[in-house]
Amino acid sequence: MKGKFFTRRDFLKAAAVTPLAGVLGSGLKVTAADETANKSRVVLIRDENALVSFKKPNPEVIQQMLDQAVTALLDVSDPVAAWKKLVKPEDIVGIKSNVWRYLPTTEEVEGALKKRIMDAGVAEKNIGIDDRGVRRNPIFQKATAIINARPARTHHWSGIGGCIKNQIMFVPRPADYHGDSCADMATLWKEFNLVERTKLNVLLMLSPQFHSVGPHGYADRYVWQYKGIIVSPDPVAADSVGLRIILAKRLEHFGKDEPLETPAKHVQIAETRHGLGISDPSRIELIQLGWKEDILI
Amino acid sequence: MCYSNEERDELAVLLPEEVNGWRPAEDDRIFDPETIFDYIDGAGEVYRAFGFRRLFARHFAKSGQPDIYADVFDMGTSANAFGVFTHDPEGKDVGIGQGSKGQGSLLSFWKDRYFISLFAEEETEESKQALMAIAHEVDRTLERTGPLPLIVSYLPDENRIEGRIHYFFNHLILNFHYFVADENILFLDENTQGALAFYRWADSTYPLLLILYPDVAKTSEAHDNFIQTYMPDAGASDLIQTENGKWTAARVKKNLLIIVFDAPSREEAEKKLGEVRLK
Repeated sequence: MKGKFFTRRDFLKAAAVTPLAGVLGSGLKVTAADETANKSRVVLIRDENALVSFKKPNPEVIQQMLDQAVTALLDVSDPVAAWKKLVKPEDIVGIKSNVWRYLPTTEEVEGALKKRIMDAGVAEKNIGIDDRGVRRNPIFQKATAIINARPARTHHWSGIGGCIKNQIMFVPRPADYHGDSCADMATLWKEFNLVERTKLNVLLMLSPQFHSVGPHGYADRYVWQYKGIIVSPDPVAADSVGLRIILAKRLEHFGKDEPLETPAKHVQIAETRHGLGISDPSRIELIQLGWKEDILI
Repeated sequence: MCYSNEERDELAVLLPEEVNGWRPAEDDRIFDPETIFDYIDGAGEVYRAFGFRRLFARHFAKSGQPDIYADVFDMGTSANAFGVFTHDPEGKDVGIGQGSKGQGSLLSFWKDRYFISLFAEEETEESKQALMAIAHEVDRTLERTGPLPLIVSYLPDENRIEGRIHYFFNHLILNFHYFVADENILFLDENTQGALAFYRWADSTYPLLLILYPDVAKTSEAHDNFIQTYMPDAGASDLIQTENGKWTAARVKKNLLIIVFDAPSREEAEKKLGEVRLK
C-alpha cells in the first residue's frame, strides 16, 4: 500500500482554501509545465433537425454537422480537404464505434464518417467499423488511423462514458482498468498505441444520457435530445466538454447540484496524471456552431 | 463457466415462461463474474463487489410493446442480495420480496439470496403491469427468505433516515456512497461487514459507518490505521473537528469499528457513538 493516501480530509482542506477545489474529485494539481501547454480545440455543433425521432439520427443532417465541425476544427473550408488532413489514402482506418444497445453510435454516424474517409482516398476494403471485436478484427489489428466515435452518457462505474473510455475494447481484460472508478483508464491509450493513431474523437451529444439507473444503467427518461456533436483530436478535451454539458443537464433536471453517482475523475486524471489531453476548461478552445437553444455551456 | 442442467434450472424456474403476452425472445443466458461485462457493461463491477455467483437473463418480447429484460442474480448469500439492493436507493417500495423499489420502467427487489431486476425498454401502462406480474411470480416461487446482515441490527434507529442504509464489504462501494479515502484504509474485505447509514440533525444529515471485523485484533488494526491516515492531528484523542467545522470520531467496541463523520457537534458525535450497541 502506498505511503500517502488521499482522503476526504484532503478534500475538506482544499475546499477550505478554494471553495470549488474538490468538485471534480481528484484534488490533484496541474503542474507548472501543464499550465504552459497549448490549448486543445473542441468543436461543438448542434442542429435542431439532427434527429428524425427519439434517438434516431437524420443521416443528411449528421453528414452536414460532421462536415462543418471537422472543417472548423482544422481551419479548412472543404470537408474532403479537411479529412485528407486526418487520413491518407494508404491508411488502414478503424472506426471505433459503440454498440451499447440503448445508445449506440448508430449506422447514420458510422456511415457519414466512412463516406468522408473514402472521399479522402482510403479504399473501402481498408476501412473497418467495430466495437467489441476490435481485438480480433484484421482491420483494427493493422489500423494506422482510428476514428473514435461514441455517444456520451453517464456510467455507473466511471462517471461518464466518453471518448477516453471508448477505447477500452482494445484491452484483453477491460476489468483490469476498473479500479478506483476507472481513474487510470487513460493509460490504455499509451499501452495499446492509441494516442498517435487516433486521429479524431467524435463524442455524440445527439441523445446524451445524464443519469444511470438499474443494472443496465439506462432509462429513456434520463436521455434528452440535445442534438449535438463534439469533435476534437483530444479525447480528454472532448470528454471534458461533454461532461460539463451532462452536469449542467443534471442541475437543470434535478433542480440542485446532484453529483454523479461516481465522480468522473478519470477525465481530469487523464490530464493531470497521464498527460493524455486537456480537461481544464480554461485551456480548451471551444468553438460552438449551429443551434444555440438550451446549449447548457 | 459451465453449469449443470440442475443449476440452470434452479434459476430458470424462478421466471415465468409467459406473462401478459410477453414471451422469451431468445435463448436464456447465464453470466458469471468473468463474463458479466458482456451483458451489463461497467456496472458489472457492482455485482462483482458483492460477490455475485451467477446471473440468469431472460429477454421477453411482445408485439407492439417494449422488450423486457429480467435478470436474476444469485448473490450467494442473503446479505449480499440485500447489499446490492441497497446500492441503488432510487425508487418507491412496491411491496415485493424482502425489499423492493420501482420507478418507471425499472423494478427491483431482493429475497433470500437473490436480487431480481426487471427492466422495460419503454415505460407503458402494459409494460409496468408486466413487470409487476413477473415480480409477483418470482416472489411466489421463491418460498424462503434470508436473514439481514448482522451489522445492520447494530445501527441505532433514532433519527435514522429511512431507506438510506447501505451494506457492503468493499471499499469502492463505501466510496460510492461516501468517499473516505482512495485506498482501502479500513481494511474492508469479504471477511468484514460494513454498514453506512445517514442520520438527521436539524436541517442537515451526517453518516455513521460501522464495520464488523472477524476478530478484535483486526478491528484495532483498522482503527489505528484510520486514526493515523484520516486524523493524524487528533493526538491521543479519537475525535476531531475537521476543516469544515464538523466532527469526526472513531471508536472500537470489541470487534466493531464505529466511525461518525461530519457530526454537527462534539456532543452529537459522542452521543451517536454511544447509541451503537452490540447485540
